[in-house]
Order: sequence, then structure tokens, then C-alpha cells
Amino acid sequence: MPSIELVNVTKTFNDGKVLAVDNISLKIDDGDYVFLLGPTGCGKTTTLRMIAGLENPTKGKVLIGGKDVEGIPPEDRDMGFIFQHFEIFDHLTVWENVTFGLEMRGYNDDYIIEEAEKALNKVGLLDYVDEYPSIFGNPGLQKLGIARAIATGAKILIMDEPLGSLDPKVSKVFRHELRNLIKDLGLTAIHVTHNQEEALAIADKIIIMRSGQILQMGTPYELYENPNSIFVANFLGETNFLQGFVLKLLEDNKMNIWIRLGGPKIECINFNNKFNLDDNIVISFRYEDVYLFPLDYDFEGSPYDWTNMQNFRADLEASRFIGATKRFYLKLDNGDRFLSIKPGNFEESFTIGEEIIVGIHLNDIHVFKTPENLFNELSLT
Amino acid sequence: MKKKNIELIETENSLPISLKIDKFFSKPVYRKSLDAITLIFFILVIIGPIINIFSTIFLNIPAIKNDVFNDDLIGNLQWKNILRSLGYSFSIAGIAVGIDIVIALPISIILARYNFRGKNILDALVDLPMAVPTSALGFSVLLFWGIFGIEPGFSLIIFGHVVFTFPYIVRNMKIVLEKVDTLYEDAARTLGAPGLTVFRTITLPMMKEGIIAGGILAFTRSLGETGATIILSGLVETAPIMIVGFRRQLELPSASLLAGILISISLILLFSIKILTRKTGFPIKSVWPRIERIFSHKYFRFFRDVMALSILFVIILVPAFYITTQIIGEDFVEELFLGQDYKWAYLYVSFINSIQIGALAVVINLIFGIPFAFIITKRKWGKVITFLDIILDIPIAIPSAALGFATFMFWGPIGLGVFQSGFYMILFVHIAFTFPYMVRPIIGVLESSNKGVEEAARTLGASNLTVFRRITLPNIKQGIIAGCIMVFTRSLGETGATIVVMGNIRTVPVLIVDWVESNAFPSAVFASVIVIVFSAILIFALRTVTKNGGS
Repeated sequence: MPSIELVNVTKTFNDGKVLAVDNISLKIDDGDYVFLLGPTGCGKTTTLRMIAGLENPTKGKVLIGGKDVEGIPPEDRDMGFIFQHFEIFDHLTVWENVTFGLEMRGYNDDYIIEEAEKALNKVGLLDYVDEYPSIFGNPGLQKLGIARAIATGAKILIMDEPLGSLDPKVSKVFRHELRNLIKDLGLTAIHVTHNQEEALAIADKIIIMRSGQILQMGTPYELYENPNSIFVANFLGETNFLQGFVLKLLEDNKMNIWIRLGGPKIECINFNNKFNLDDNIVISFRYEDVYLFPLDYDFEGSPYDWTNMQNFRADLEASRFIGATKRFYLKLDNGDRFLSIKPGNFEESFTIGEEIIVGIHLNDIHVFKTPENLFNELSLT
Repeated sequence: MKKKNIELIETENSLPISLKIDKFFSKPVYRKSLDAITLIFFILVIIGPIINIFSTIFLNIPAIKNDVFNDDLIGNLQWKNILRSLGYSFSIAGIAVGIDIVIALPISIILARYNFRGKNILDALVDLPMAVPTSALGFSVLLFWGIFGIEPGFSLIIFGHVVFTFPYIVRNMKIVLEKVDTLYEDAARTLGAPGLTVFRTITLPMMKEGIIAGGILAFTRSLGETGATIILSGLVETAPIMIVGFRRQLELPSASLLAGILISISLILLFSIKILTRKTGFPIKSVWPRIERIFSHKYFRFFRDVMALSILFVIILVPAFYITTQIIGEDFVEELFLGQDYKWAYLYVSFINSIQIGALAVVINLIFGIPFAFIITKRKWGKVITFLDIILDIPIAIPSAALGFATFMFWGPIGLGVFQSGFYMILFVHIAFTFPYMVRPIIGVLESSNKGVEEAARTLGASNLTVFRRITLPNIKQGIIAGCIMVFTRSLGETGATIVVMGNIRTVPVLIVDWVESNAFPSAVFASVIVIVFSAILIFALRTVTKNGGS
């Protein structure tokens, strides 16, 4: 039962001067494909390395299959590890790379051959057994890295930015192959990345980390639809933020807010926090959740149901066609700017500089208390 | 640490024996023991003698006062001699390094930036004097400038020192120059800077570290050199030669004092230069666009290259290898093989000694050098590592004759009494002064080698020692071989340290000095040419190894 559990784990470097991981606890169930997602330096790789035994926690416990693994060196933890920079043994052939882990486990030759061939076959490198890895480009190297890690039969797979060194286009295809492979083998997998799209696309669960702490855990859908902080809202997907204050508290957790400096008044539902009258707040809404209408749009006569839609006016400053999508740059009377994103074939033709009606569904607006340093919360580090 | 409470994989027992041994010795206790043994070796062989020399001075203050400052007959004449020898040594080293840098700047540009037929040969020729025993080089320089009637003395010593210190400077400059990204220079040129200005304001500052590193190395080599200096000195006595003299006449207190002074000055120089280099602004910041544009013209560049190459040949390469032309027509056969004193037998025995000592020094430094390099690169001991890293260079910085004498005083009859002068004492000294030459290249490859593959191997189930054997060692092989060749050539070429502790044993460089001093020129020529050819083969091997390492 290879579940992984971290209990109050802290890791410091340089005699406590650098706090890499700050008292985190998490549990990864058997067979889950979990992502550790966060900006560079958030402690996700350190967390991973502690699970693999390449670093020791300063405080706290790492439990694997329910057992404390303190003092057990990485070679005895029986995990597969995939590295961002592959770390393929250049001086060994493809075959020697893949059989390395099997050999270390003392298996007999027949078993080694069988398992190595199986692993190489899975990644499609069986034809290259006698070659040296230098013939491969990055995708080939990473395939070899994967084959090497899974050949040992380890039931836990640990991946540190496994797609980070691949060309973006290649990595988009590759990530689905990776997920299929992991699910086929029934592995418990942890995947570290700073690429939010990658995490959303293939994760069972995502753990978002920042400054050594865990901000939020959940399925990709949960996190995307209900971020618990400005940072998470900003980090996942493309999000607009506007500042304002609470104008009026309504029933059913609803409230009226007023965008700052005489901006529009909007109704929203409070998902996360308790608010008081006059609290300074930040609202967030996704680019793709912003609807655009011409000024003379007939809401009553429309075939769609527009109840709960929050409408206000904005100037269209610019629009940009980017192939699959079109981006609309909008500006409120108070000078605040935000974006809307539409499919590339979006027909509605507005003229630049025109005033239009913007609509956002009540449930798509998230409200947060204004933090002390909003700029810091909105930076992606 | 808590007891392991996770079950190891069931197949543990079926591990092959080699992996089992690896696993057993990968326990931290063995690693710590090896670290401890390595550090004890380092302290005993390298640090001990040096500390001992200072305590010897301290304990012998009355004797030193008597001999050096207050002699019944000559008063403080000895002290004046010591001061004069130090003055000679430092001015020779300073002038030689100055000349080296001036010649090396254009040559390093030619070697790093130009492509022409025969570049490899020129590169090898420039490296070669580093590998050849200095006494052979000194003898060759003596013969060459003898044609023009230049007698042994101060200027001939400088000629000699320029020859054998030049490679250290040009190599270091070339290496940094190859590392400097030419895009910076391109950027400066697109901004309107002429070639000379670009070099002065962009390239030169980036080369600073290399120039200084080479400069230090060359300076210390010049300061400590004995073999060539004896041959070229005439009546001039440099400090290392004076130590050799004191040792021969058994004026041990005086020798201790001088060795102590030399060691102190070298250490102060080493540390202060290491600290100062970080702060010095190197080039003159102001520019003279019009004048510099004129001097950047291709005719001037051509002129500069031709001049530099001519000087390189006339001052360094031809004097260094002039001796090979002397073997033809010399009647060494009669003197060497038919003489009553069996010179060929001496040569044979010395040659065997040289090779044995070199080979043993390689083996022992290999045994302790690899763990030491691992300590420096892998252990996280903070300041201790910084300290070890600095004192590792001490044997390079201090004159080998002084180190040899310190070792003699520590291990010899006067000190611990473990060894008498002779083979093993020579071996000990050679181990001491070549140790950094083994460790530095290994540190170099270890630092540039990818630690990720080692971690990968561990996650695949390899114990520490298995990782070392199967993954690390193949990756750092080149550095180790380079270190071995460096140690061997340095050991083969050493004179000063050997003379101080050799007793009746002779090595080839010492034999050459002996024969030159006793005017057995033909035999000396023969011996010199043999070691030059031998060294050329070694340098060729070194270059092949390091070149493959680069790919």
C-alpha cells in the first residue's frame, strides 16, 4: 500500500537561514496522481526530495505505506524518480541505463531482461538498446528516464518537472502519454511542476504551494472553480482582479460591492470569508467568464437566460486575434482595466473605442479581503 | 537516528557480492573513517612539516642568533646574505612574470581565437616546458645563450625562469579567453568600440582571474625553483639555492630560518593576492577612441602577432629545446658509456629512481587525493571546507626546497626520526608538493560533473559506493588521469626538494645538475634530451586525455 504522508514537515537550509518548507502536512493515497504546483522556489522540489530521501526533513515525519522512513537512504526506499534534466548515465548504453536499477536489486538475468524489455517497450525505445543516449534529443532522453524509473517495478513514481525540459508543443502531447502510462501501471505518482496548465490537464489532485507552505489542495476542477486565495486564483488560469468595498450585505451570503473610484456596483456571493460593511475587497473573475454585449442588446428578447448576470458598462480599448482565441481589452470609467477572452471565430464585431456592456455570472465572481500587500499577492512568485 | 523500520526489498540476499560489499562500506561510519584518515594524511604530510619548521625556528632562537646575526667571525653577514638572496628571488620572479604576461597576452589570443594550420603543434610546444625537468631546460638555456656570450648570472636566471614559467601563464590566459563569450565583444563593437578598446575594456577584465591565477602560479614556481637556477646562477645565490647550500653544509638553524621566511612570505602573498584580486579594478577605464582605432588596424594586429610569435620563439621555445640539436655530434658516447666512472649506470639508476618516485607519488596521491577532493566538493562543513580549500594550495605556493627542508626536519633524524635522507624521504617530499596537482583537477571535474546522475543512481537503488564506482568514477576519469600525469611530470622535474633530502640517491634532474657542475656536458646533454623526449610523450598523453574530456 504505497500511500505517502507528510506530517508537520519543515526543511531549512544553511543552518536555518533559508526556510524551504514550512511545517506542511499532506497525504497522497495509493494510486493517486498528485501534482505539487507552485512558483519557482516555493519548496515543491524540496518536498519531493524529502519523500525520495535525497534530503532529510529538519522537523517532522515522512510516512510511506504508513511507516516512518527516517534514516532510510534513497536507495532503499524503492521509488522511481524522474528528473527534469533526465540525469541519464551518458557512459552507459540505453540497455545498461534501464537495467541499472534492476541489477541493484539483485534480480536474476532472465527477470532483468524481461522487465527491461517491458519498460523499454512501453516508451517505444526497444529498438535502441545498444545505442548510447547521446543519439537522443530531449524527448528520447526523458522516455529513457521514464523507462529506467519504471523498470525497477517501484510502485511510487516521483517526478521533478519531468516535462520541463521539453519543447512546449512536445510536452503537451507527451503529458497525456505520461498519465496513461502511470495509470496503466497503477502507480502512486507525485509530479512537481510550475506549469499550471500541465497540472490542470492531467492531475488527479493538485497541491498548490507557495513560500514553503501549502495554500490549497483539491481536484483541478475544485481549485479552478473555487480558489481560496488571490494567489491561487491568479496562478491557475487567466484572471481579472478589481478592487472595491462592501456596499451592502444581503441574504444567502450575497452582498453588493462597489468597485473603487466610482466604478460599477456589482452583486456577488461570498464563498470563502466573512465580510463586514465597508470592508476593502478584491474580486476576481476569469477572462473566459466575461461576456460582451452591444449597448443595444435585447436581454429580455434573448433566447438565453440572463438572470444572475451582473452587467456594467466598459470601453473596448483593443482586441487581439491570437489564432484559437480573441482577446478583448476593456477599461472601466475609473481607469481599471480587465480582459475578456473569446474563441477565435467569435463573430460579434465591435469597434475599438466603443462603449459596450460587460456581463459576468454571479457564481463566476470570487471575493477576497484586500491583503496588506496586493502587489505581492498578485506576483507569481 | 531511529532504527530502520521499513522492510528492505526481499531480494536483498541475492545481491551480487560486489554490490553487497559496496552496501556494507557505504555506511556513514566508513565514510567518516575515510575522511578522518585523509585529513590525518593531509596534516601529517603537508601541514605538519610546515608548522614544525616554525616551531623549530622558535626552539632554536639562540642558535639562529649565534649563526645568523651574531657570529663570532662574520657578525650578521649571514643575515645580509639571506636578505640579498630573498631580494634576488623576488626580483627574478617579478621580472620573469612581467615578461611572461607581456608575451603571453598576444600568444593566448592567437591560441584561443585564431584558427590556423599547426595551431595544435604550437599549443603543445608552448605547454611542453611545463613538463620538462627545469634542470634540463636550464641547461638548454645555458647552452643557447652561451652562443651569444651571455654568462651565468642574474639575467641568465631570468631568461631561464621565463622559459619554464611561461606555460603556466599562457595556459591560464588561454583557458579564460576561451570561456569569455565573444558576444560581449560583438556587442561592444556594434556600439562603436575599436578592437583594441574592446580588448582593453571588455575582454581583459573578464580575463583578470585567469591572468592572476597564472601569475601566482608562475611567480611561486619561479620563487621556488632550484634546478635550473643552480645551473644558470653563477655567483648569484637565490633563496632556494641558499637553503640547499645551508643544508649541504648542515647549517640547519640558518636553513630553518630561511625556509621559514620563504614559507611565510609565500603564504602571505598567496592569501593577500587571493583576497586582493576580487577588489582590483583591472583596466584603465578611460578610452582614447581615435588613437585606439588606429592601433586596432589590421596592419598593427598583424605586426603584433608577428612580433609576439618571434619573441616566443627567440626567448622561449628555441632556448628551451636548443639542447636537442646538441646531441648530434656530441661525443657523449665516449664520456657516458666508455668512461671509467660508469656514467651510464648512474643515469640508468637515476632514471629508474625518478620513475619509481614519480609512480609511487602518483599512487599515494591518488589514494588520498580522491577522498580529499570529495571532502572539498561534497562535505558541507562550511568554513572548514573554505579553509581546507585554501591551505590545499600551500604546497604549490611555497618553494619546494623550503618544503623539502621542512619535511626533512619533521620526518628526518632531527624530527620524528622516521626516515633517513634517501629514497623514502624523497618520495615523501614529492608526495607533499605534488598533492595539490592531483587534487585540483579532480575537484575541477567533480564540481563541473553533474550531481543529478548520482542522485538518479541512488533512487534506482545504488548505494553510495556503487554510485561512486559505476557513475562518478567514469565521469571524473579524465580529471583523475590529468592529475596523475601532472603529479608524475612535476615529480619527474623536481630538483630543489630532492637535493635537500636525497642523501646518496640521485634522480635525473639532480644528476643533470651534478654533471653540469662537474663540466660533464655531453652526458648532461644526453640525459636532458632523454627527459625532454620522455616529458614530451607525457604532455602529449595529457593533452589527448584532457581533449577527450572536453567532448
